[in-house]
Amino acid sequence: MSGRMLSPWLTARIQFVLAALFVVAGFGKIVDPPGFAHEIHNYKLLPGVAVNSLALVLPWVEVVTGVALFLGIARRASARIMGVLLVVFVIALTINLVRKHPVDCGCFGGPKVPRTDTQRLGDMKIAIARDLGMLLLVAQVLAATRREERDRR
Amino acid sequence: MRRENPWRDAVAVVALACVAAAVSNAVAGPERKLRWIGSYSASAPSPAATPAPGPAGPAAAVIPAAAEGAGKVFAPHPSTARVEISGDDVVALHKGGNVLFLDARRTSLYRLGHIPGARPFSVWEADIDDKVKGLFAEGRDQSAPVVVYCTGGDCEDSHMVGQKLYFVGFDNVLVYKDGFPDWEKRGLPVDKGDAP
Repeated sequence: MSGRMLSPWLTARIQFVLAALFVVAGFGKIVDPPGFAHEIHNYKLLPGVAVNSLALVLPWVEVVTGVALFLGIARRASARIMGVLLVVFVIALTINLVRKHPVDCGCFGGPKVPRTDTQRLGDMKIAIARDLGMLLLVAQVLAATRREERDRR
Repeated sequence: MRRENPWRDAVAVVALACVAAAVSNAVAGPERKLRWIGSYSASAPSPAATPAPGPAGPAAAVIPAAAEGAGKVFAPHPSTARVEISGDDVVALHKGGNVLFLDARRTSLYRLGHIPGARPFSVWEADIDDKVKGLFAEGRDQSAPVVVYCTGGDCEDSHMVGQKLYFVGFDNVLVYKDGFPDWEKRGLPVDKGDAP
């Protein structure tokens, strides 16, 4: 990445955007863990015994990484975790899209209004595109923080 | 500035998230609480109900009168966890009275409107196993029909409740295929609030 793309000014703003997105997404799920468990179950990728644990912990991982990134604490670790989560989300959505199994993304909590299958398949494509965009932001934060570390040495 | 150690920090972040999740779940109300280990079975396709011959038929001896709806009799099906039935059959069973109705949707939706007499039985809320055990402990006839519904379409909550009931011995669980939206579409009475 070029020097301008890794400028502290840009990195700070990208960190803020990522932090805000993850905190909002996390709280959307924390307010209703059974609803999020339902969404995870609908993906049909995990055994039933793992659904609840993931529904309880994942939103808090999102919130903690978001807050840490916002405060500038453990930025590299937070960005890496966000990157892993986004890759997992993209894979989960893609698998269901390929098998034409419509799911509500559950990314920011449950849907407010019922959606048709066609609408949900369309929403899944949008969610994948959004997650890929966020992955680019994560890559910028990782590259910028790596350069900061190198410059400090 | 402290030098970051990404692996150590990542473990700390995940550990903090686990603690926060445990505290949050511990203080959550019954509708928000989750058991850490879920017990959701994969939902196999349900066969449609094939009504037994009339009351004079061989199955009639084990079917209570309440099981009859619109001339149909719903015999127990011990080899299948649940069978799907149509809205017409559900309406007839409801009219007949004495048939237990369970609402598998979230309690928040139940409160907004449910089939009169139905009990809240959300499979996603932490007290579902207690409710199933409670139903078993009531000493009901386990071969009497129990109608379970959710939101129809691809909603599997009613099937999952049916599976749980089947595991404790209920062998006549009938799933309302089109669910509550169909009930509302038919303009049938709806009760609101916490009471069945």
